[in-house]
Amino acid sequence: MVEETTVQNTSSHFPDVDITQSVHDFAGTKGEYYATEFKRVQKSSSGYCWTFNLGAAVFGPLWATARGLWGLFWVFAVLELVVIVMIGQGLWGDLGSDKFARADRLQTNYERMIERVENAKEEGDEQGVESFQKRADNLAAARDKALAEGELAQAGKTRLLIVGLVLLALIKAFEGFSANIAYERQYTTWRTDSTVRSGLSWKSGLLGVAIVGFVYIVTLIRFTSGDPPDYVAEFPIDNRFYLGVAGWIDHYFDMASRNFAFLFSGISQGIRIILDGVETLLIGTPWPVVMAVILVFAYRSAGPRVAIFTAAALAYIAVLGYWQESMATVALLGTASFLCISIGIPLGVWFARSRRAYNFARPVLDLMQTMPSFVYLIPIIAFFGTGKPPGILASMIFGLPPIIRLTTLGLKEVPKDVVEAARAFGATDMQILRGIEVPLATPSIMQGVNQTIMMCLSLVVIAALIDAKGLGYDVLVALQYAAKGQGILAGVAILFCAIVIDRVVQGRFKDTEKGG
Amino acid sequence: MSQVLEEAPEIDLSDSIREFSGSNSDYYIEKFAEIQGTSETVNPWNMAAAVLGPVWTAARGMWTMFWLFTIAEMVALVQIGKGIWGDLGAEKRAEAAGFLERADEIRRQAAIDAAAGDDIEPSLQIAHNLQEAAENSMIAAEALGSTWWIYLLVGLVLLGLLRYLLGRYANRLYELQYSAWRVNTNILSGFNWQRIGYSVFLLLLIVPVTLYRFTVSTPVAWTVDVPADPNVFTVTSLWLDGWFDSTANMGQHFFDAIVLATQSVLDGIELALVDAPWPVVALLLVLVAWRVASIRVAIFTAASLAYIGLMGLWEASMVSIVMVGTASAFCIAIGIPLGIWFSRSERAYTAARPILDLMQTIPPFVYLIPIIAFFGTGRVPGVIATIIFAMPPVIRLTALGMRQVSPMVKEAATAFGATPRQVLMGVELPLARPAIMTGVNQTILMSLSMVVIASLIGAKGLGQEVLIALQYVAKGQGILAGLAILFCAMMLDRIVQGRFQRQEDH
Amino acid sequence: MQDDVVIELKSAWKIFGSRDKEAMEAVKSEGLGKTEILERYGAVVGIADCSFNVRRGEIFCIMGLSGSGKSTLVRHVNRLIEPTSGEIWLMGEDVMKLSSTALREIRAKKIGMVFQHMALLPHRSVRDNVGYPLEIRGESKARRWNVSQHALGLVGLEGFEDRFPRELSGGMQQRVGLARALACDPDVLLMDEPFSALDPLIRRQLQDQFMALSEQLHKTTLFITHDLDEAIRLGTRIAIMKDGRIVQIGTPEDIVTNPADDYVRDFVQNISKLKLIFAHTIQVPVNDYVPAAGEDLGQSPRVSEDVDLDHLVDIAVTTTQPIVTTNEKGEDVGVVSKDRLLQGIKGGK
Repeated sequence: MVEETTVQNTSSHFPDVDITQSVHDFAGTKGEYYATEFKRVQKSSSGYCWTFNLGAAVFGPLWATARGLWGLFWVFAVLELVVIVMIGQGLWGDLGSDKFARADRLQTNYERMIERVENAKEEGDEQGVESFQKRADNLAAARDKALAEGELAQAGKTRLLIVGLVLLALIKAFEGFSANIAYERQYTTWRTDSTVRSGLSWKSGLLGVAIVGFVYIVTLIRFTSGDPPDYVAEFPIDNRFYLGVAGWIDHYFDMASRNFAFLFSGISQGIRIILDGVETLLIGTPWPVVMAVILVFAYRSAGPRVAIFTAAALAYIAVLGYWQESMATVALLGTASFLCISIGIPLGVWFARSRRAYNFARPVLDLMQTMPSFVYLIPIIAFFGTGKPPGILASMIFGLPPIIRLTTLGLKEVPKDVVEAARAFGATDMQILRGIEVPLATPSIMQGVNQTIMMCLSLVVIAALIDAKGLGYDVLVALQYAAKGQGILAGVAILFCAIVIDRVVQGRFKDTEKGG
Repeated sequence: MSQVLEEAPEIDLSDSIREFSGSNSDYYIEKFAEIQGTSETVNPWNMAAAVLGPVWTAARGMWTMFWLFTIAEMVALVQIGKGIWGDLGAEKRAEAAGFLERADEIRRQAAIDAAAGDDIEPSLQIAHNLQEAAENSMIAAEALGSTWWIYLLVGLVLLGLLRYLLGRYANRLYELQYSAWRVNTNILSGFNWQRIGYSVFLLLLIVPVTLYRFTVSTPVAWTVDVPADPNVFTVTSLWLDGWFDSTANMGQHFFDAIVLATQSVLDGIELALVDAPWPVVALLLVLVAWRVASIRVAIFTAASLAYIGLMGLWEASMVSIVMVGTASAFCIAIGIPLGIWFSRSERAYTAARPILDLMQTIPPFVYLIPIIAFFGTGRVPGVIATIIFAMPPVIRLTALGMRQVSPMVKEAATAFGATPRQVLMGVELPLARPAIMTGVNQTILMSLSMVVIASLIGAKGLGQEVLIALQYVAKGQGILAGLAILFCAMMLDRIVQGRFQRQEDH
Repeated sequence: MQDDVVIELKSAWKIFGSRDKEAMEAVKSEGLGKTEILERYGAVVGIADCSFNVRRGEIFCIMGLSGSGKSTLVRHVNRLIEPTSGEIWLMGEDVMKLSSTALREIRAKKIGMVFQHMALLPHRSVRDNVGYPLEIRGESKARRWNVSQHALGLVGLEGFEDRFPRELSGGMQQRVGLARALACDPDVLLMDEPFSALDPLIRRQLQDQFMALSEQLHKTTLFITHDLDEAIRLGTRIAIMKDGRIVQIGTPEDIVTNPADDYVRDFVQNISKLKLIFAHTIQVPVNDYVPAAGEDLGQSPRVSEDVDLDHLVDIAVTTTQPIVTTNEKGEDVGVVSKDRLLQGIKGGK
């Protein structure tokens, strides 16, 4: 009984905590105001209440910086920037001025044309009169149209101005209403973490003034001055620099590709030999044989459902006449994946062993994956020309990182105690690697293989841009001529190839997991 | 002292080997004992394997070996076939015939020219040369024709070598299979007529056609390429064209609405980034990088912006950033709620997973086509393609992060009477934040990688610069624009990651 | 006597950290303590100045709480961890001077090791796990299979040869670990908290099984544990470790009756002494004994002076007389009165 009353006491008759003093400490100036407002905010159960901070509404981002609310500052500043640009465009922007200029030009041309009509009349050239008159009429029509468009743009100016002003009012209201709530949150964090900014900071406020002032002034210059200095509207740089650097790069690329031609053509030849082998196997061998082998393989590694799907996909490809292109794509993919795997796994093993090598390689791997694939197509064309081997090289750049990463990861995740046990029984490093680390890392490595194959596939298609042929080429052609039907048919063929390969590889992957 | 080693009695494997091998057990009991009984590598000869080749491997359930040896033996058989009945000189003879024909043609022309009184000496010289070349080709054809025995020999040697290898290693391989079978009885064992039948069937399917294709000089067309009727292709593609056009017409309002919505978001961001004076944008970006991430990121951002500006790629870069920003904003705004939903509803996730897989598996090239069909070309379709490509990671990682939230913590929150909404906002989302942020980061990077592809369908910006460079092999310009893309990507990535890391620290 | 020493560590030190050598120098010249080394060199002392020897056939237990360096210590014996300084001798060979090939040879042929978390190879069958040390030694498959079958029989796991470790319970897995350590018939067994991760009941079973095996095979064993009960149950001798140092080495009886310091005393306080203390420890020589009133040594029960207190208590409850102890020749040597017995149970002398 007694306990029950105490429990009730804790929740309903607890005395109010007086935060006034601490809010004073926190706010610095205007402590009284914030103490009352914070209490209101804290009383509301949702954490939101209608409280308007006039200072914040008027000064917006400046208030936020002065109070050390940098997050809020950015929100306010960016919102206001958008609005200012809108108002600037609305008040002084030269919307429609290009149209008016065009109308002016057309007007002079029109007048000139009328003159010629007059001349022709004087000379009695009936034909000339007619044709000049017609041209003059056309010019007049164009002039009227330009004028109308200009006026429309002018009208748009007013609309932009009105929308801008309305938005400004809304933003100011938002600033005023959100200020105290945000400031109260800041106060709550400050109570536990006194490094959080508190008080009214002149330094921080001045920084805000500087930023906001800069933003306002430059934006205003950009729009108000009838002829804004070029450096405001556009980056003050001309093409010469760009072209100079580009030419310099061109030069060095050409030089490198000339000087190391033997190396580049050697690599190309090596890849071509492997590719030729794979192509003979896939394209040279009669198609019924290849199909049968693919089907049996799909059935054995991924089961009857995948086999049926594979049969349907192959039928689609064959009936629509994509057999050779598909096999060419698969040959490219197979060669690229094979090379990736045979280079990637040893590298992965090395990186798992040597921390230093891994630290060195990681940024390179990141770069290989972050860089949009088209970008490294360029140096590849420069050094290796166009065709299939460069296409394979590009796919390899894209496809190598996953297999390296996942091999390294898999090896690093092998339980330390198992490796230690093997060492305690006298195993050599090689025995540990082959007998323990690699088998235990196999699931991870297989995942890497799967990802690598998928990455290579997506790039093999793009490699059509550098003349690597295959299905990607059909899609590219369709894209260029907006031939939807053909593009879709080729696209579906790619899709089927991707799905079949993915399923079969994953099926195999599950097999190894079961066995291991 | 060494009780364990010395006292270990022999274990008798005969029964288990008998069960495993099915037939011919005593032979295998003996051979396996021979292999297992020594620490040396021994390879006892297996005659049946050497004679039967791939059929033996199939009968014993070693399918990987079956395929390996079938393909290798196919190569050997093709050589033998060429040697025995192949027309080795056919190619050269055809070449010779071609030369002769051209020579005849030139002579005829020369006769006409001679009638017209022209100098026909050079023509006659060419004809003579061609005649000689034809004779050379004929000689080469004869020579090749008489090399049939080399092919035959190479083929036979190769075949013999393969059979020898199989005979040599068959028992070793079979013993390995036995050891594996002891642990995993799913592994094929025994001797099986069905498997033999199946393998013979496969061999009959593969060997004759392949042999025919490679040994006959002009094989029947259907063995070379699929005898597809080109009409099927034309008709289907025309039908698809029609279907797309009519669908695009029917759903015009719908597609226009999507274009309009995307367009207005694009315009809004573009207003801020492209129309605002560049010093303002640059300053804001650097300051945001500094405030949100760190001073190092701010310096990096400043350097990247300086590069972009100096190279005169400012406007193109801003256009690209606008595209990426819009696409990412859409991805995040749609992806996170979807991810939350998928983490809640197992059924929805099961239904959606294949679609997500598909979105990530299909090369982006492929879905550009329907996008053009429905949305036309320009930057809006570019953004839509980017959204399709970049959305899966954020959905997946949100769902993953939410599922990984410890059920105990959720239970605790529920025990205090939290509503599902409160659990979501107060517990799940904060705890899933690292995963969600990783998803956001990946989405941004994937959007950037789409910049170039999107410009294939008429989106402007840096992608277009790269594409043009690619078309004209303008290496320098392409690399400069490519670097600009890279810097934009790294800038956005560092800022988002910096924000994330800062939150981690607190 | 010297031949009997199988493992010997002489003043072994292990300091972890990138500046371990400098720290070691400083320890030798200035005698720095643990905290000073951490402060000055950022290095952590794993084990400090550990010396002990293990004799042929004995079970030598090293007992200490987690973090006391016992697992580090045992890994010095087969040099899985390199000492920073000190000497290690194994059956008359200086382990520190071995080449890496010779070291592997010794690990493969002379030392078997059992781990706290079993450390079985998850991708191999139980048979191949047990046969692993032999495989490393390059033994034939038939031999590996025979031996692993036999070793699994020793630990009572016949019929599980073709299973995978994950299909076995924790206790069975650790028995596989034990079988694996026995398979290569090592002279020395290193056991690193082999039973710590198991349920108390299973732990007890495995301890019994291990003791039985030990009787049968007489392997020299270095046994690591954090459980004093276990150490006392199994150990011929016990070393107690604290903060990387060996605090006391002795027989279980020594440790219990003569704790070297308060740390050890705290430990042994709650240990039952009944099976650890023997009559000869608490008896009063028969010639010095002055019988109290009503006592007649002639009627006293007679027992060997080597029986433990448990046995004495059993006898004491049946008689009112003090108990007389005899040596192996049957001569009376001492007297244990009830008072002495009670004192002995309390742990005093």
